[in-house]
Amino acid sequence: MADYEAAAHHHEHPPEDPQAHATRRAILQAAIGAGAGAALLSTLWVGAGLVPRQEKTPSREPVATGDILVFATGPKVDQEITLDDLRAARNERVPFIIAFPKNPENNVVKKDLITNTIMVILADPARMSPETRQHASPEGVLAYSAVCKHLGCTISQWQNDTWLCPCHGGMYDIYNQARVVAGPVPAPVPQLPVKVEGGRVVVAGDFLGRPGADV
Amino acid sequence: MYQWLDDRLGVRKLYAKAFRKAFPVHHSFFLGEITLFSFITLVLTGIFLTLNYEPSIRPVSGPLSDGQEVPAAYYSILFIDSLPFGAVIRSLHHWAAHIMIAAAFLHMLRIHLTGAYKNPRELNWMVGVFLLVLTIITAFTGYALPFDNYALTATKIGYEIGAAAPWVGRLLSEILFAGELSPTNTQTIPRLYSIHVLWLPLTLIALIGIHLTIMIKQKHTQPRYAEKVAPGKIVGVPLFPQQAAMMGILFLVYIAVTTFIAGAFLAHPVQAFGPPTANTPAVKPDWYFMWIYGILQIIPANWRFEFLGATFGPQFWGGILVPTIIILGALAIPFLDYSKEKRRYLELPSQHPFRTSFVVGMLMFYLMSTLAGYKVDLNLSNEVLWVLVVVAPIVTGVVTYALLKAAYGKRRSQEPEPQLIGKGSAADD
Repeated sequence: MADYEAAAHHHEHPPEDPQAHATRRAILQAAIGAGAGAALLSTLWVGAGLVPRQEKTPSREPVATGDILVFATGPKVDQEITLDDLRAARNERVPFIIAFPKNPENNVVKKDLITNTIMVILADPARMSPETRQHASPEGVLAYSAVCKHLGCTISQWQNDTWLCPCHGGMYDIYNQARVVAGPVPAPVPQLPVKVEGGRVVVAGDFLGRPGADV
Repeated sequence: MYQWLDDRLGVRKLYAKAFRKAFPVHHSFFLGEITLFSFITLVLTGIFLTLNYEPSIRPVSGPLSDGQEVPAAYYSILFIDSLPFGAVIRSLHHWAAHIMIAAAFLHMLRIHLTGAYKNPRELNWMVGVFLLVLTIITAFTGYALPFDNYALTATKIGYEIGAAAPWVGRLLSEILFAGELSPTNTQTIPRLYSIHVLWLPLTLIALIGIHLTIMIKQKHTQPRYAEKVAPGKIVGVPLFPQQAAMMGILFLVYIAVTTFIAGAFLAHPVQAFGPPTANTPAVKPDWYFMWIYGILQIIPANWRFEFLGATFGPQFWGGILVPTIIILGALAIPFLDYSKEKRRYLELPSQHPFRTSFVVGMLMFYLMSTLAGYKVDLNLSNEVLWVLVVVAPIVTGVVTYALLKAAYGKRRSQEPEPQLIGKGSAADD
């Protein structure tokens, strides 16, 4: 029965016609290729959904002139940083405060953008280099991006009068535009111009460079 | 009953064919099994953890956090720790991951030192290299899940190192972590969770299956004496019951020891670090990343240039290039040290001084770069560390070579055993 069918099959397409075989094979191969290509394309189309969308929300806005600096951590989180807070911090082991900017118009703390992490300190203006002093407040309030240029850790420690990143030992000189003193850091973190208004620390301009890790 | 099963499933045939498979016995042969046992332990403890873990950072509060608002993932770790033996099982998961990486590494060393990667086992060596790399990546994706400040900072460093890959790094990091890694990115934890508990383990299971299938198909390499006892045959004990009994006992011993470790040394107490904040605690990577961390510490910051819009900086050299070269080098070993005829017997490390001293030199490199990871703590200067990382491994390799030659070189020439002299061992990289 099966033999008979196979024989009949052969009869319809005589083996002595290699041209027909070649055509059929070419059509099948083209179909397989087109199918695989279409499948791959649609996979990529679906897979593109894995690329995260950057949604603009008020809390993801970059720091802007006029923003008020608030505590990023600690018991006073989200409260405005006052000159008194900065004075008190000077007696601590870590003499600076990690801050986020707050939009004074809608009172939103812009904490969802990593590069908005800011370090603010009350320092002696006499020790600052002229360029550093230019963007600090007359009282000596000084602010920098707190995101390490190396691998994006928050530069959160203080050692021998130097600002220290705990992740890979990067050290910055805050009196001299955050010049890199030690460690594998590729560049200084940008300074943020600030002024003091009514006892609060207010942003007076954009970062003097690009904040965030340089990778 | 047996007859009934045999009629339907052919148990007798299976027993004769599969269960009588001969396993050569040597204590170093159990390293691969310990790796497998670790994986089984990880899957079992992991299932327990998934049943109680909440992959979300929505703020919750409750008695375990003293009414304080903390991320749900963090809270669920507190919950797991509060369950009967919960903290022990979580620690068991943690330590089993460490043991799996260590055992896989030692297993690889054993294969390397005895030349068991040679023809026809090149493919299985490569699968093994991928398994080790994938195991380390799987461990890394689990770091962030407790979502405490330490975990997030450690993961952040990995995120930025991934982003340092030229051109595509940033995009890959963002796909892996669902955007920028930050304490407030709500999508990161669900995505890492899926990758850590589903995709990577599935890939691991598939690769382990391939690894074992190829091993069974190609049969074990075995110690030299087997050739004298029964040339051309595998000398060993059958899978069932002897080998199975040994494996069972080893597995129970493994579980006992790791459970003891887990009970004695609780892993990663999240309360000590607290939920993530904008602040960064001082972090140190786990030992299997410490060597990369060390290299990152000693590469000068000014080693950077831009090319076609991509930056090649210290993070790229230390975090991407060096590990990539080592992985590619490992993959290439069976082809650099190629054997034309098929190998069935293990080679003695003492008879292959070049290969052995190369491996010892590489171990010294790992040790010295790990030491560089303690640069700040030990107050070591960059110059000293560069000498230690670059020169010490070379010196170690040369000394090892000289010692091996002195100790075993003569004896080899006295014994006329031509098969023992490994062909092309000088071609070892």
